[in-house]
Amino acid sequence: MTGLPLPLIQGLQVITVAAGAPGVSGFIAWVEARLRGRRGPRISQPYFDLAKLFRKESLAPPAASPLFRLAPVVSFACYLTVPMLIPVLTSYPLPLGYMGDILGGGLILAFASFLVAAAAAETGDAYAQLASSRAKTFAAITEPVMLLVFFTVALITTTDLPYVLGATVRSGPDQIVRPAHLLVSAALFMVILYETGRIPVETHTGTTEFGMIESGRPFEYSGPDLALLHWGSAAKQLVLYVIFLNVFVAPWGLASSRSAIAVALAIPAILVKAVLLGCAIAVLDNSYAKLRLFKITEFVSAALLLAVLAVFTLYLGGG
Amino acid sequence: MFLAYNPSVPSVFSGTASTIALIVLLLEFGMLRQALLRGQVRLYAGQSLAVSALAAVVAFGHNVPELYALAVLSLLLKVIAVPLLVVGLLREAPDEIAGSGAVSVANAVLISIAVAAFGFFAVGVLGISSDVLPTVALSLAMAVVLVAFILMILRRDVVSQAIGFFSLENGASLASLVVAAGMPLILEVAFLFDLLVAVVVFGLLARTHHRRAQSLSTETLDRLRG
Repeated sequence: MTGLPLPLIQGLQVITVAAGAPGVSGFIAWVEARLRGRRGPRISQPYFDLAKLFRKESLAPPAASPLFRLAPVVSFACYLTVPMLIPVLTSYPLPLGYMGDILGGGLILAFASFLVAAAAAETGDAYAQLASSRAKTFAAITEPVMLLVFFTVALITTTDLPYVLGATVRSGPDQIVRPAHLLVSAALFMVILYETGRIPVETHTGTTEFGMIESGRPFEYSGPDLALLHWGSAAKQLVLYVIFLNVFVAPWGLASSRSAIAVALAIPAILVKAVLLGCAIAVLDNSYAKLRLFKITEFVSAALLLAVLAVFTLYLGGG
Repeated sequence: MFLAYNPSVPSVFSGTASTIALIVLLLEFGMLRQALLRGQVRLYAGQSLAVSALAAVVAFGHNVPELYALAVLSLLLKVIAVPLLVVGLLREAPDEIAGSGAVSVANAVLISIAVAAFGFFAVGVLGISSDVLPTVALSLAMAVVLVAFILMILRRDVVSQAIGFFSLENGASLASLVVAAGMPLILEVAFLFDLLVAVVVFGLLARTHHRRAQSLSTETLDRLRG
């Protein structure tokens, strides 16, 4: 069978996420602007921003340790490790796909987020510290939801490998309408909304420091470091979208063989799917008022409810 | 290459039925946090719509034509008549019922999850099986009834308490669909009209309460008056 070598496809997955992520963010920003009746930035604006930042100089606060300079690089590397573990382009598992399951991917994402928060905490900037302590506090209350989502995936497929769940969802309509699958997808969607800074409290591109959680942490960064952080958060958003789409909700349009055409078609397919999901999220984001910060528990308790019910229905045999 | 692993997958029919039953339960949970009077009534209408849809799904899936009649009747009564009646009776009342909970919303949801879990597994171990609906729907019906109790206990406004009582009936009709789908139509209709009487009584009580106390909150009721 002629086709692309597997390591090349594996590399293409990472490149797709790294190169496509700013574009997806740019498109969502454009849709948001159109929804509010503005003309909006160019879709390629994030690429220009990154190019501009990479040409500038990086400054660090005098008291900061080497961790401050290390965090953007390592967290960016973490965000680009996850695309090796999840189905981005192919429906069949690639060699490194067995390196870690969904739990492993979640751990890598959490580690990256921890590094950024730790680096922000040692800058001495009040707002960066506020943001990092908030990010960790609320990460602790969304974590049970994620764990229950993983448990449900494990109960459905008896493994935590994302490829298996994708194949299970593709196997027939009975797998799609089963309540456990619908509930767990909804719970994951709510967590993704929270993780990408959409709902319930944070404004995605906001400038008010008091509403900031994730976006408040890179306050002290400049130049290439800031570019890596921005790029990393765009990559994280795309990785989460890919997990949601290619594993849970719409695992179609993936390459099922190693032929160059199939793989080449899978790249625009995932980007289009991510952009459509981004449009849906932008509409949702703009049709709800932001909540007060401490109302975040209501949002998370709703996600927890969905995930708990998914496990319950599975145990009762009807899920 | 490996195949998808599925030990026991419910069929498309029972998956759809359980999902609709789940929607009934989720809307019940939504009532715990609803902040507006009309929103609360709308949630109830949505829940009744889900129950009617489930009756129609069972009628379609198992060829029980009289359930179509029940679905249409409960659609007319519970989705259209009851909400209109409640909103009409409370026309003068303010729309705001937020913050009437005795505990915060997140805690109310956690308590309800625990109570619903109890209901789930208590019914699950009974081993009642039905030939028209998956057993999980009966557990969900039990959970709806218990969460409706929690709603009536924790929220201190007359609207939520009345809606909690009406949605209890939704849970009961969900259960009756599971255990006795072929229940004589006349019995079901009697239940529905029973509900209509309750709606009128509750509506008038809520209206009188609002006229006397100038609020929908029940907290003024624990004071003794000379």
